[in-house]
Amino acid sequence: MILLDSYNKIIESTLRDAFESEQPETINVTAADFDGVTYTIVTPDKTRPNEIVVSMHMGCYPELQRYGADDMLRKEYDSLLHSVGSGGDSSADVVLKIDSKALPEDKESVVKKVAHLKRNALAAPFERAFNAQIAGESSELMTVNYRDEEIFFVQAQADRVTVIFSTTFKDETDRIFGKVFLQEFVDARRQPSIQNAPQVLYSPREPPLELRGVAGLRDSENIAYVTFVLFPRHFATEELRRDAISRIQMFRDYLHYHIKCSKAYMHSRMRARVDSFLKVLNRAKPEKPDDQKEKKTASGRTFKMR
Amino acid sequence: MSNTLKTYIAAVRATLTAAMCLENFASQHVERHNKPEVEARATPEVLLTPVVISRNENEKVLIEGSVNSVRVSIKIKQADEIERILCHKFTRFMMMRAESFVILRRKPVEGYDISFLITNFHTEQMYKHKLVDFIIQFMEEVDKEISEMKISLNARARIVAESYLLQFP
Repeated sequence: MILLDSYNKIIESTLRDAFESEQPETINVTAADFDGVTYTIVTPDKTRPNEIVVSMHMGCYPELQRYGADDMLRKEYDSLLHSVGSGGDSSADVVLKIDSKALPEDKESVVKKVAHLKRNALAAPFERAFNAQIAGESSELMTVNYRDEEIFFVQAQADRVTVIFSTTFKDETDRIFGKVFLQEFVDARRQPSIQNAPQVLYSPREPPLELRGVAGLRDSENIAYVTFVLFPRHFATEELRRDAISRIQMFRDYLHYHIKCSKAYMHSRMRARVDSFLKVLNRAKPEKPDDQKEKKTASGRTFKMR
Repeated sequence: MSNTLKTYIAAVRATLTAAMCLENFASQHVERHNKPEVEARATPEVLLTPVVISRNENEKVLIEGSVNSVRVSIKIKQADEIERILCHKFTRFMMMRAESFVILRRKPVEGYDISFLITNFHTEQMYKHKLVDFIIQFMEEVDKEISEMKISLNARARIVAESYLLQFP
């Protein structure tokens, strides 16, 4: 399981169970996703459990709205979309209403579409940048504060699209492991099989040139900037575009997931090593001489020493 | 490089065997108490001269002896940031389990990474030559373990980066 999926497994399995079951049942599920996004899946009307309401809370949604998230979601979800933005009757940012009795032939595709809700919302600035680049213009620097102390920037230029992540390492160990991992990302391009991947640049504390002059950037030892340079061939077709957006979105979570995994691996290695040391140390203890040893019968009863 | 290792280990082994001649010594300051004199340092006449055996300025062993106890402190080679973090984590891991380790000290001596405290009670319960063997084996294996962990970290990083970037056609 090296790669992370861009869809939410909890939504997928809940909806799949709901669609495949004979009798629709009431559902009340609260789930969380990466980057502080939460979902609630409920059947609000007990008498009509085929009506499922999926709502998503996303802290950075107002920013995404500025970059055209509403239109994107309308295009993608069409009739399933109930409301966007926190102006409507609920406090959630996006609300979808699904009728499990009135589904199209291909139920799987509806399941997958809803599970990709977060990805589709976050895709807005990317789509805008890709469209601008294909039209040959450059776009503004789009900022999304998708996590508490972490931001990503997207900007289209004449011949490329740049995506910059500013990621924070809360732990000293995380920071040093992160340095090793990010250096490998930069160096991986030397391999012939990876020549076509987007170029990755890494800057430990200094913001890269594209961000010079942006206000509100924190300066601390724990911050790293990672830049992805996407060339037109990376988003040439519809499918390539979709894949590229999904993957770039998951980058930060992918990186931190693997840092934590390697810390866990180190721990289990150290535990094994400490056990082997203990075994060696116990070899230093002499065996008790025969008359002091406890003797047991085959069935486990002990002889009493007098 | 490894021929200094052999002489270094041999010197440490000889000094340890000599220092580990321990006998019981009741505390001269408090009645009925029995303290490891190398830690208490209350009676100067039972303390022996401390010896430092250095392989280079980054690797050395300090052996402080006394009549009833020996304190062995080891400074492990840490070439860069990663090794420093790995070494720190590893020694902290071990020191938290000092109770089961018996001869390990919970805090290292100033300037060193890990310390052992061996008292006459330990040498009465365990074979002396095996204790010395243990400490020597520990020194060799810690270096090996830290470099293995560093290599596995680099290999993992390479695989992670490759898998991610190979997704893009």
